Amino acid sequence: MTIRNARDHGQRYRPRMACLKKVETVVLEMQDPKSGVKSQTQRLVITTIPHAITGEDIVAWLANRFKIDALEARAMGTMMVAFGYIYPLQDHKRLILKPDTSLYRFQTPYFWPAQQWPVEDTDYAIYLAKRNIRKKGMLELYEQEQYNNLYKWLNHKWDFIVMQAKEQYRAGKERKKPDRVVFDCQERAYWVVHRPPPGTVSAMDYGHERMVDPNVVEKKTSEYYRRIIMFTQQCIMRPRVKSSVSIGALVKCSTTYKEHDPFLHPCLPSNPWLTDDITYWNLNMPNVEIPTKMRVERWTFSFGELLSDPRGRADFRLFLKKEFSGENLAFWEGCEDLKWGAAETMKEKAQQIYKTFLARGAPRWINIDGKTMEITVKGLAHPHRYVLDAAQTHIYMLMKKDSYGRYLKSPVFKETQRRAIAPEAHRFSDAQLEQNGKRRRPSLSPIILRQQEEEQKAKLAASGPVDITQLCRFTAPVPHLAVYTGICEAQSTASPGLMTLPNSAACPSPISVAIDSTPASERRFDGNGGPSSSHFPSIAEASVSEEENQPPVPKSRMALSLSKLLRRGCNAPSVFASLSPKCGVTSGGGKVQPLGVEPLAQPQSRRIANFFQIKVDIPPECRIYPIDSEDEEDDGPDTARGVKEIICPWETVTKQDGAG
Amino acid sequence: MPRSNNKVADDGTSARPLQEGRALVDSLIKVVACYRHLASCVGGCTDSSSMRRDLQQTRERAQTLALSCRNHLTARLRDKTLPDDERKETERLWVAFSSCLELLHTDMCKVFTLVKCFSPACNSTMVQTGIQGGTTEVAAQALSLPDLQETNNEAQTSSMEGQEQSQLEQEIAQVDRTLEDMELKVNVLRWTVEAQGPQYADPVSTDSTSLALLSINEEAAKRFCDHRQMFVAMIFCAVAIFAVLLSVCVVLLA
Repeated sequence: MTIRNARDHGQRYRPRMACLKKVETVVLEMQDPKSGVKSQTQRLVITTIPHAITGEDIVAWLANRFKIDALEARAMGTMMVAFGYIYPLQDHKRLILKPDTSLYRFQTPYFWPAQQWPVEDTDYAIYLAKRNIRKKGMLELYEQEQYNNLYKWLNHKWDFIVMQAKEQYRAGKERKKPDRVVFDCQERAYWVVHRPPPGTVSAMDYGHERMVDPNVVEKKTSEYYRRIIMFTQQCIMRPRVKSSVSIGALVKCSTTYKEHDPFLHPCLPSNPWLTDDITYWNLNMPNVEIPTKMRVERWTFSFGELLSDPRGRADFRLFLKKEFSGENLAFWEGCEDLKWGAAETMKEKAQQIYKTFLARGAPRWINIDGKTMEITVKGLAHPHRYVLDAAQTHIYMLMKKDSYGRYLKSPVFKETQRRAIAPEAHRFSDAQLEQNGKRRRPSLSPIILRQQEEEQKAKLAASGPVDITQLCRFTAPVPHLAVYTGICEAQSTASPGLMTLPNSAACPSPISVAIDSTPASERRFDGNGGPSSSHFPSIAEASVSEEENQPPVPKSRMALSLSKLLRRGCNAPSVFASLSPKCGVTSGGGKVQPLGVEPLAQPQSRRIANFFQIKVDIPPECRIYPIDSEDEEDDGPDTARGVKEIICPWETVTKQDGAG
Repeated sequence: MPRSNNKVADDGTSARPLQEGRALVDSLIKVVACYRHLASCVGGCTDSSSMRRDLQQTRERAQTLALSCRNHLTARLRDKTLPDDERKETERLWVAFSSCLELLHTDMCKVFTLVKCFSPACNSTMVQTGIQGGTTEVAAQALSLPDLQETNNEAQTSSMEGQEQSQLEQEIAQVDRTLEDMELKVNVLRWTVEAQGPQYADPVSTDSTSLALLSINEEAAKRFCDHRQMFVAMIFCAVAIFAVLLSVCVVLLA
């Protein structure tokens, strides 16, 4: 359906075209017989046509009128030609102003670019049909293509188009020959502006269309004033920065980034938008093996740059893996996923993140201060997208201040820097550029790109383990939630019928099995009434019985206990601290339940060198380590108290004390 | 194209109203084409009060034609007893008519805006477009009348201009309404209408002089080179002939 001017819902105002009115006044000034541009006659074979102007005259007039230098006048003249107010008589396809004796002519106002009316395809079809009537086969290749397309789309009015073209042609014949020539030139120039040949830059590219006509002066109603008042009130409330600070920031930003801006500095090997050669994009794919030197340099600018580049993030992840502190990055990524992910899995994700990173005894426990932890846990009672924001910021700052500096000095980064490539700049000749233009192909569909991303994420999640600070069998990673990219080594499956976890240890854990078999959403509600003591014996017994059934158990148990001992080694001071009378006070207090008392029967095994880098920053009376059922079994009576799954504190309604 | 407006005695065939409809639409298309040619001169150096008058008259002609066309086609399409192929044909005509009317509407809106900026009274602000001749012939074709006389009243007073403008505005609104009414009254599904004519219009190769004029600039250099070559060849031949003559003379004399 067509859009009629009066009933048009105003969605078509083109913002950058607000300058058209100003250009029109300039053009009208140029017409003045006394002070305008002086015109000559164009001599053709048969006749002469008046009102031709030379490029140099235009430039001189503009320079004189606006008191600008010749270069700027030339640029302004080119703009007028590009908009279609003046058209060249020779070389009509190149819409530039040549400051020599080449001839131009003014376009008739009917064909001026207008704000209100979009250029109709029907008119274009009529124009092409007319050209075809005049001489068959005169259409260029791109015009031919467009003609065929229009024939398909406007098929229902095609008879009309052909007839109208014929009639317009006939009406044109009624005019005198020079007038006919001029009209044809005018129309041709109009369509070169509005349907430019491929590969040319069009001045008519204007971006999104606006609802409001920028040229219309708004009527001052009360509504208008209300808007103005609101706007100015918001302006006053805005926080301000000292100009020295902001200018300093601007200067810093521009000096840092000026060589990385493709508008200001040629990008290597070549800018694909200019040369149609996509090497640059191929070299800078998100997950390319070897990044370019410029890209690596960008990572040194700020931590945010490093994290936002997927390749940089991967490098950082590798470094953290070597340092065994990857949980920070994993937590940060999990928070990002929560923030930007789908709403339906949000609660589960929040759960998962808590269980993996934040809870006491979590397998990938991150180190945040008590206040932030308090806020987070309180917020997790009613989780929403930004519930982990405080913790995420804390971790981000931690990484930035600590790991980032070390990363930049690390061998991982130095290696990447060394291997980075610096491609040579392309030097295309004109013919090659045309070739490139012809060989343009559309890029990969975003659907495929998304699939590749998902595959990548799944691969990352499946490969592992990344780093585990503590072994825990009580939280099972849920594969369908891409919360974290590493998995808990100690996860296990009891029977093949249940969910198989990657890299699971052979040691079964009935509790984890129970957790696994129930879907995540239910996990909140059942089994979380708190492991009341009545459950424990059964669980303990079940686990005991389970243990006996598995032959490879003893070995892994040994391995597990050894690693546990190693890990516990560093906790020696805290163990001794726990012996202090303070210990009993805190049990049952606070929102997060302590996980029971560590077995004190083996103090000597704990004096092992601090093998792993464990960040311990909690008051010694709170236990962070999970009590694994193996140790509990060794300790016998303590078992009942020790076996405890990680519960999300907002789920427990009743407070438990002591042994809970 | 002659406009057969007179209804001959109905001889029972339904071809008559179909032809009539087609003729009406054809003439409307012709008038709209002429209107476009005239509109392209507004604001240019040939813009004058007489041209404006031509414009107005053409427009009025287009309006009357549009009205009769609309009545005719609406009546036909609402007629339930119309056979299928005729209905198809009428629908095609309908689509052509509505597109024509939209074109007319756009042109009228453009003229309306241009007329506000360019008044024929002050000639200095007119854009020097290179057009020299008048548009009387085009208008004459539109109105199917022989050469219009240059009537008096060369200088149009501003009040007349204002009148004209308001009239134009009204007519634009009227066309708007027409288009809307058309859509409401008769429901023609655009996707069911298929073009019957050829994709490419028949080239009219009789008049190629304008083409020659247009391409003169691009081929001027080439032709010049050809001329030069021919010229050189001719000179060579002339010299050769001269040499032959001389030798013959020498032989004869010797």
